[in-house]
Amino acid sequence: MHRRTLLQGTGLALAAPRLARAQGNARTLRFVPQGNLANIDPIWTTTTLARNHGLMVYDTLFGLGRDFKPKPQMAAGHEVSADGLTHAITLRPDLRFHDGQPVLARDCIASIARWSKRDVLGQRLTVLLEEMRPTADDRFEIVLKKPWQGLAWALGKPSANICAIMPERVAQTDPFTQITDYVGSGPFRFRASQWVPGSVAAYERFAGYVARDEPADFLAGGKAVYFDRVEWHVMPDPATAAAALQNNEIDWWETPLADLLPVLRRNRDIAVEVVNTAGALAMIRFNHLHPPFDKPEIRRALFPAIEQTSFMQAALGEDKALWQVPAGAFTPGTPLSNSVGLEVMTGPRDPEAAKRALAAAGYKGEPVVILSPSDFPTINALSEVTADTLRRSGMTVDLQTMDWGTLVQRRAKREAPAQGGWNIFCTTWEGLDVSVPGSHQPIRGNGAQGWIGWSTSPRREALREAWFEAPDQAAERRIAEELQALVWEEAPFIPLGLLRPPQAYRRSLTNIVTGGPPLFWNVRRG
Amino acid sequence: MFAYVVRRVLATIPVMAIVALFVFSLLYIAPGDPAAVIAGDQATPQDVERIRASLGLDRPFLVRFGEWVWNILRGDMGVSIFTNLPVTTMIQQRIEPTLSLMILTLCLAVSIAVPMGVVAAWKQGSWIDRAVMGFAVLGFSVPVFVVGYVLAYIFALELDWLPVQGYTKFEEGFFPWLENLILPAIALGGVYIALIARITRATMLEVLQQDYIRTARAKGAGQTSILFLHALKNAAVPIVTVIGIGIALLIGGAVVTESVFAIPGLGRLTVDAILRRDYPVIQGVVLLFSFVYVLVNLLIDLLYTLFDPRIRY
Repeated sequence: MHRRTLLQGTGLALAAPRLARAQGNARTLRFVPQGNLANIDPIWTTTTLARNHGLMVYDTLFGLGRDFKPKPQMAAGHEVSADGLTHAITLRPDLRFHDGQPVLARDCIASIARWSKRDVLGQRLTVLLEEMRPTADDRFEIVLKKPWQGLAWALGKPSANICAIMPERVAQTDPFTQITDYVGSGPFRFRASQWVPGSVAAYERFAGYVARDEPADFLAGGKAVYFDRVEWHVMPDPATAAAALQNNEIDWWETPLADLLPVLRRNRDIAVEVVNTAGALAMIRFNHLHPPFDKPEIRRALFPAIEQTSFMQAALGEDKALWQVPAGAFTPGTPLSNSVGLEVMTGPRDPEAAKRALAAAGYKGEPVVILSPSDFPTINALSEVTADTLRRSGMTVDLQTMDWGTLVQRRAKREAPAQGGWNIFCTTWEGLDVSVPGSHQPIRGNGAQGWIGWSTSPRREALREAWFEAPDQAAERRIAEELQALVWEEAPFIPLGLLRPPQAYRRSLTNIVTGGPPLFWNVRRG
Repeated sequence: MFAYVVRRVLATIPVMAIVALFVFSLLYIAPGDPAAVIAGDQATPQDVERIRASLGLDRPFLVRFGEWVWNILRGDMGVSIFTNLPVTTMIQQRIEPTLSLMILTLCLAVSIAVPMGVVAAWKQGSWIDRAVMGFAVLGFSVPVFVVGYVLAYIFALELDWLPVQGYTKFEEGFFPWLENLILPAIALGGVYIALIARITRATMLEVLQQDYIRTARAKGAGQTSILFLHALKNAAVPIVTVIGIGIALLIGGAVVTESVFAIPGLGRLTVDAILRRDYPVIQGVVLLFSFVYVLVNLLIDLLYTLFDPRIRY
């Protein structure tokens, strides 16, 4: 054999599998999610990844449209009685679970019951609920003790926990125990046997799914699927994910690192776009139990020193398309976002004024413990800027960097900072979560029963209650404005701006549904 | 010999028991709470407590340790807190890529490093010797991930010869398997090649000074025969020892290599489990690694008898 023939043969042998796989990949969408899909019960956990998985595998009774208003999804219709107490929901015909069984009213009731034990708005439903009863195989009623016009919104919201519709036998699982039966109702079937946690999760188009005969409208409308298979490939190393995207080994990367964006943008086959337009609201959260931030005057004193732009630039760089300031208590761009009191964030920035206000409020130089996660670059950047801002305001700062696993345990501690507790951590909240008072945890004032930081404010709690009973959007807006004014007065947290991290994908993908989390219907190749 | 092997295998039991106690205690006192990670940002402290109780993490140390040991003795490594999958299943899913990577790296490293070391010793002081030693210093100094990035950039992005990441099972064909593993094996093998080449050179230099080598030359033996039959066989014991010790180096290096090349192996499983505090998985994997390491050392001890007939057990 000639040497050249041998070399050619070896080259072809090496290239053949790659060519074959490239041809086979045309009907497969290869996606790199923001992290490892470690658990797949969207009720058991509130993690974003489990929610994103849930949106593929489970359908919901309602879905939010681009206007953030709920629209029937599995529901064919929704009738509310004149007194506003009875919500009658009729299911669309031909709805089927992945095992071929029809979706019945009793499945929906069991699913709502499980969801309502974990979700913050579900818990509201539990308080208001008189009963849920099937009136036919494809129709059921939710009877409330008091009217709640936000019920459809709660059942269709995409923020965790989503009200995923499961078969009754699955939904009867204790909500604090993971499900083991992965039969869903959504447009994709989860291939549990191919799931390698930390590496790959595979989904196949569910041929029995009947999409609504409407164009896709965020989480509402027709969920038409154009790929036979979607694979989530977990890549912990951003440089590897960037190289894989450039090398056409993956199609879509959810969270490209800001430092790598210039490289990706230079590649004409790759688009770098904001898909999650609702973004994430960045914030500083205080521990209200211990000095110095147990006093609202001290929390407020920091306002003049907070430059939202600096926080955004540290997190996502100079490109203003990737973030938005000023930001108030609610997600900018959503219906309840307002400008009441925003001048505290938009006026001239003056750390010296913060220093004076801190002294006047009685700050005596006690150390401030800031927790920062080393494995979340965005939040780590926000924490660094927070530390710098506090130092420039004359505070004594102890910035403690740790991994996320340690941080979540540490921040749950209620002890004083000197005994292993903390004073501040930075975080981001999904824009849709903090777009309404009902699911806005940081705005709550339910103290020890509430979210970490344990802020107590009967006035904010009363306004949140009032929001649930608001008869229309005008009333909701008035409540949101009052709440925002209270946020500036009581400072349970400090909003730092809206982050809209971009996603990177091959230009061969078209019709990606924008608005919130990555969605795999409507998108197609070519 | 048989009695020796049995004794050594039995001796692994107390070693494994100590490892088990050490790992379990370490995880017990280490900061981090899987219940809080599972519950997520929206959870209230009550939710976290309830999840902790449902996972049995609120029970006393001795009860949990006793239960774990009892289950291990019955071959049950437990269930992952996060994925709800048996730890044995998760290890089975991940063992092939790691084994493949380690075996390929080992073969590659030994087949390159030993001849390099032999030639360097033979040509001591020459440019070949200096080049080999220079490479060894480079191999030790450059981190695995840097080598990985450079290789991926050249061979995947620039030349488009090989994929950047991933793993193809051996059953799907030798070439696809090799295609995915060749760059990671080279990246991981750098340190290993450097280590073995240096030890081979040093040992060979010592052996080449021995009287029997001079005798072999006097009897007219060829250079190849002297180097590989007379000298290398006598230098083999320290080389094999270093290869064995280097297995630990490979296990550590596999964690980084698997991350850089997105290979779904045990290294990444360990890191993911540590970051999430998935205690049953961490305990299972560490126990497995310890067991493998003990067995490799036993194998090395047995190999001594092949290279040096004077060694008897």
